[in-house]
Amino acid sequence: MRNPLPNLLPDAMPLRDALRGLRHAVRRGGETLLDVMTLDQLPPPATHLAGAVIREMGELAKGVGEVASGFARIALGGADALHSAPLKLTARLGAEDAFAQGIYAALRLVLQRLDAPSVYISETAARMAFVSLLPSQRQGQDADIAAALSLGLVEAKVLRGTSAQDAAHVPGRAIEHVAIFAVMLWLQSNRTEAEDEAVLASATDLALVLANEANAAFCASDRTKLAALYAEFAAHV
Amino acid sequence: MSELPPLSGSLPPTNEPLRIAVRRMRWFRAAFEAYVKAIGDRVGCTYKIDDAKLAAIFVRWLRAIESQKPSNRQDRHDYFEFAAGLMLRELTADMPLVALSPPSKSAPDSAATFWPEGYACTMFCLTVHSAAMEQEFKNKPQVSPVIEDLRHWWSFKENAQMGASFSVGFLLTLLGHQPNWMMPDVFRVRLSDELKQP
Repeated sequence: MRNPLPNLLPDAMPLRDALRGLRHAVRRGGETLLDVMTLDQLPPPATHLAGAVIREMGELAKGVGEVASGFARIALGGADALHSAPLKLTARLGAEDAFAQGIYAALRLVLQRLDAPSVYISETAARMAFVSLLPSQRQGQDADIAAALSLGLVEAKVLRGTSAQDAAHVPGRAIEHVAIFAVMLWLQSNRTEAEDEAVLASATDLALVLANEANAAFCASDRTKLAALYAEFAAHV
Repeated sequence: MSELPPLSGSLPPTNEPLRIAVRRMRWFRAAFEAYVKAIGDRVGCTYKIDDAKLAAIFVRWLRAIESQKPSNRQDRHDYFEFAAGLMLRELTADMPLVALSPPSKSAPDSAATFWPEGYACTMFCLTVHSAAMEQEFKNKPQVSPVIEDLRHWWSFKENAQMGASFSVGFLLTLLGHQPNWMMPDVFRVRLSDELKQP
């Protein structure tokens, strides 16, 4: 039997992350500019000039966003599809990439529901969290694996660039913990492919109700408590 | 005793037994939304649902039924009724509904007109309970004639505002039982002898 050819293609995931990072930075730059510039207090010539600059920034952000999204999705094969997430938390060939892509897509939807769509999500960090699981952490119940992965995602900083405005949408300002909790709850739930988005919405609403408990477990890095919460609610999403 | 108004068809379909589906947030929410829409159409009123409150109600109800779940399978039938009462307790403790207008199609002296939100929540609990009982025990529960008596609804609204546990007793009364009014939301003190009383 012949050996498979070596994969000479570069790893696309960090490049996708870099492009998304560029898109995030430009979008956030435009938002910050709008926040700090008080156009109505400027005299007329300066208002026109500042308005033109902001419009230019908006066009730039839109252009970068389109290039980054399109390039990441089409040329690099980045999967924004929800269904790429592994349905079972078991190790298999390529599982880390499927996990990272699924986590990215799910986090995007969760953050939209939390009214914080511009928080930056790192697919590479999600993969790192999966790969960093110790062999002992890959054993056991789904809830235990999910708890270990959840803390790994926080440690790898899968979510970055959260603004105070984003955080304010969640009790305790714990948007990163709540979003990760929601996605991991969804991942463990019993659902059909057609139900994926509805279940993710339910998981997000449950995570908001459980925000204080989940946040306390995340802040204390309490894997047992986190696993207990997952075990209690995974069947009820 | 009489049958419930025929609105069980408004519950969303599911491939799972209802006792399982109702303990899934997605079905519970879809069922509540669909039922409230159907009952709103019937009584002539539009309701607004607070989704965040509904999610918190679901979590509290889930924990309440899990914490009191009896170990003896013989108690399942009674516990189904009790669980419906706990659902009404949580709904009335933090009402997730607001009627945006008075019901235009119901009689002025009806429960729906007197308390549109409480009426919708009560009928939802009875309808889910009835559908689950029929599925599990091949037994369609009958409803007591007191459901038509406005004095019971008046008492329900007044007492539920002082203590939501009253709602459990109210629902059991509608199902034809004499509840333990001392602790209506504690299952272990629901002696079977009390349930058998006429």
